[in-house]
Amino acid sequence: MKQPATARQMGLIRCHTCGKLAFDVGHDGYEEHCPRCRAHMHMRATNSLSRTWALLITAAILYVPANVLPIMTVTYFGSGQADTIMTGVITLLQHGSYPVAAVIFIASILVPVLKMVALLILLLSVQLKWALDDRQRTCMYRAVELVGRWSMLDIFVIALLVALVSFGSIAQIISGPGATAFGSVVILTMLAATTFDARLIWDKEVTDD
Amino acid sequence: MYFMSSEDDTLSLKSIPDNWIACKDCDLLLERVDTPLGEKALCPRCDNPLYQPREQTVERTLALTLTGLLLFIPANLLPVMSLSLVGQETSTTIYQGSLVLFNEGLYWTALLVLFASIVIPFCKLLLVLFVSAHLHLERSSALLPYAFRYYHYLDEWGMLEVYMLGVLVAVVKLKGMASIIPGIGLYCFVALLLVTTLMSSLLDEDDFWKRIEQALKRQLR
Repeated sequence: MKQPATARQMGLIRCHTCGKLAFDVGHDGYEEHCPRCRAHMHMRATNSLSRTWALLITAAILYVPANVLPIMTVTYFGSGQADTIMTGVITLLQHGSYPVAAVIFIASILVPVLKMVALLILLLSVQLKWALDDRQRTCMYRAVELVGRWSMLDIFVIALLVALVSFGSIAQIISGPGATAFGSVVILTMLAATTFDARLIWDKEVTDD
Repeated sequence: MYFMSSEDDTLSLKSIPDNWIACKDCDLLLERVDTPLGEKALCPRCDNPLYQPREQTVERTLALTLTGLLLFIPANLLPVMSLSLVGQETSTTIYQGSLVLFNEGLYWTALLVLFASIVIPFCKLLLVLFVSAHLHLERSSALLPYAFRYYHYLDEWGMLEVYMLGVLVAVVKLKGMASIIPGIGLYCFVALLLVTTLMSSLLDEDDFWKRIEQALKRQLR
């Protein structure tokens, strides 16, 4: 039976931008740039694991202020209330808006946490060569890539609310520093997902041979 | 889909056959097979979508991009919604949200919102317009690969659909507080969202790259 081969085993590099295959001629070779799209060619993303670790750790640190600091302050007829992400969800629940509360809870709390845990599992499993199912891990990676952007939801809601609700002393919504931290967490985890090279999951087969 | 074999004598390869591709996520080397239009070819090892041929991809993309650019201006300049409370009325456009955040000192968040909801979607439309217009008119430009590359890089950072969900959530949050009047900008925005979503699903990146390659070869001749 034929053994499946990877591009790397055949001495080929797949351009990460346009998908073109080219010969791997080492770092000083003339095909350092993709012959088709001129992007830099790398057999695997440069320092993929260290970069992903760095971005993930930064995101995890910022996740604390993102949840502790208020993302906005709502003043309604004189009484002000500073909302964090979690209290925002609780307020929605108290008002009976269950579907929206669920959407916010999933996008702002569940997705960022699951994403960071998933990236952590991917990083550890690649680094420590855990024997996890490769197909499932790749699937998990694709899920992380796909859902990451939806966490920006809360940031857009804040942008809309602060612009709309400005009735002076009657009703006013002012943004809070938690929004900055939360926005950064979303961007950092999205970057971490991009720097992680999924091909590393499958690469161990090469070393096992 | 066929597996390439490491036992084949391909190790002493002189040139790379045109129908060879590698999977983005698992690096498996494969031989391209013809897929019916609209159907996805999946990697047999990791299920990653490899390519999805689209009918008349250049023309359809070009048409949708032009529509998108026409809708872009009213969607961004006209009010998305207005809010009225005890006789006072406020309204907002997409960029105003970012402006208010900037004035309140959240510069980074303001930039994030501005880029994700306006700047990047606009740049994406311009870049795709440039590429698809060139390909449609069978013109070549040395900038084609750069333009399409930057489209590829920017792709996931434009977040119109997330913004749309944000509008819906904001409406529900404000429902009990004041009366909300949807603006013309909102209708334009929904149309823009539909057009850009359709554009990205009808854009066959794989085919675009092949055409760009051909256009550049023609130029060299």
